Amino acid sequence: MSKIVILGAGIAGHTAAAHLRRKLGKEHEVLVVSPNKNYQWIPSNIWVGIGRMKSKQILFPLEPLYKKKNIGYKQAKVISFHPEGNDTSGKPFVNVEYVHGEKKGNQEKVTYDYLINATGPKLAFELTEGLLPATNKVYSVCTYDHAEHASEAFLKLVQQLKATDKKAKILIGTGHAKATCQGAAFEYILNIEKELVKYGIRNRVEITWISNEYELGDFGMDGMLLDYNGFNMKSKDMVEMIFEDRGIKWILGAGVQRIEDGIAYYENLEGEYKTETFDFAMLIPAFSGHGFKAYNKKEEDITDKLFKGFMIVDADYTAKPYEEWTVQDWPETYQNPSYKNIFAPGIAFAPPHSISKPRKSKNGTEIFPSPPRTGMPSGITAKLVADNIIDSIKKGQPSLSHKGSLGNMGAACIASAGYGITQGSGVSITTFPIVPDYEKYKNTGGRDIKKTFGDIGLAGHWVKLALHYAFIYKAKMKPFWWLIPE
Amino acid sequence: MAQRISKSQHAKMKNPIIQFFKFIYLNIRILKIVAGGHGGTRN
Repeated sequence: MSKIVILGAGIAGHTAAAHLRRKLGKEHEVLVVSPNKNYQWIPSNIWVGIGRMKSKQILFPLEPLYKKKNIGYKQAKVISFHPEGNDTSGKPFVNVEYVHGEKKGNQEKVTYDYLINATGPKLAFELTEGLLPATNKVYSVCTYDHAEHASEAFLKLVQQLKATDKKAKILIGTGHAKATCQGAAFEYILNIEKELVKYGIRNRVEITWISNEYELGDFGMDGMLLDYNGFNMKSKDMVEMIFEDRGIKWILGAGVQRIEDGIAYYENLEGEYKTETFDFAMLIPAFSGHGFKAYNKKEEDITDKLFKGFMIVDADYTAKPYEEWTVQDWPETYQNPSYKNIFAPGIAFAPPHSISKPRKSKNGTEIFPSPPRTGMPSGITAKLVADNIIDSIKKGQPSLSHKGSLGNMGAACIASAGYGITQGSGVSITTFPIVPDYEKYKNTGGRDIKKTFGDIGLAGHWVKLALHYAFIYKAKMKPFWWLIPE
Repeated sequence: MAQRISKSQHAKMKNPIIQFFKFIYLNIRILKIVAGGHGGTRN
């Protein structure tokens, strides 16, 4: 009998738990430890953030589902890792602390045979002074409750504008010099613009995109050359075309450093310190590791063996210049090299480096996007980790036959550009591979142009909506859920 | 100044019949790319 403990119940953790439970017999224990009581389909948060969806439409409680599916569940957060056990425990364990119910505040040792760290990122709002959501007129859509606050504030602003002839400024983008997840901000700015058109007040609102990207359409992936309507087009040109068409202004190479009430202070790549005022802003924070500690059998600190901000996996972390980066640097199995029974799929693994070219301002401040690992790659990497553990248990020996490097994996980004069955819009972008392979695809910017394409239109909105329902169906583990790919 | 989306392109983007077929096309294409497999990069 084996015990598999999964830390986190987001896209990666939940996917891993579902596949493990389906493919392993009842004699094996699958246990999820997460401080969150609900599963949330994060990609739909942007619709909650404009008031077109209620948060209850994008979430469901985990405990009843896990109970029904024979998956153990503790609503707790991990405190420390003990991969060698200690004097009192021969087995490796994690220390967890309950965050809800009668046991709230109690700590407990949770032993394991295999550990999947799917704790995702810490939303590091504190790295940008004044960025805390729902303060200083700045909001977030990173979680459903953040998105609800954003929606309330946005709709309040709409009401104010409808009742008066005032003008307003909206600022959307990244709230830190090294933030990632530009895609979510991109979706949100297009949805906000569309909503203002619907409310008939678009002409009185100045909308500005602010981002740490060097060029529009970088998305933390160094941009891409894509097939659009039969032509090869750079993602930069595609996004510029969309922004120009919708009258959205943009500020690039901006590292937001401080927020005051309605004012964003930022430094740009020219080394200039500037400000941008706003009446409503949605800025994505930096993502960081959780600051977990790890100890060996003698209770000595071995955090460096497990973490490098995020968790260390089978990547090549050797420091080298951008010109020497290769796709081979990226991990394939997400296994910790020191402790072979620990894995970190999704956002929890430490990337070897960024995907976008690193840039510094004239003052030496690093301003460039961190690599995205959200959504589809999270699900795919979680499934392959689960499959390797399943194989190892069934074969009785370590098996790592399932591999999935971001340098040999496709992704689809279906960005909503406006909500509505007949009036909606979406920007559909697929890319293969996620990390550009400049050796294999020398002439097409590191990507397979046959698998990297863009499209704009109502169909994109329908695809995004279909994915919303399909993935919530899948997450609820309803009949034949496994037929829906990650 | 960057290129804007033309009126005829806008009309195509909103036309439900064209978009219905595009919806099917997009789903197939996305499925082929995403479910088409993944693997390692090292020998």
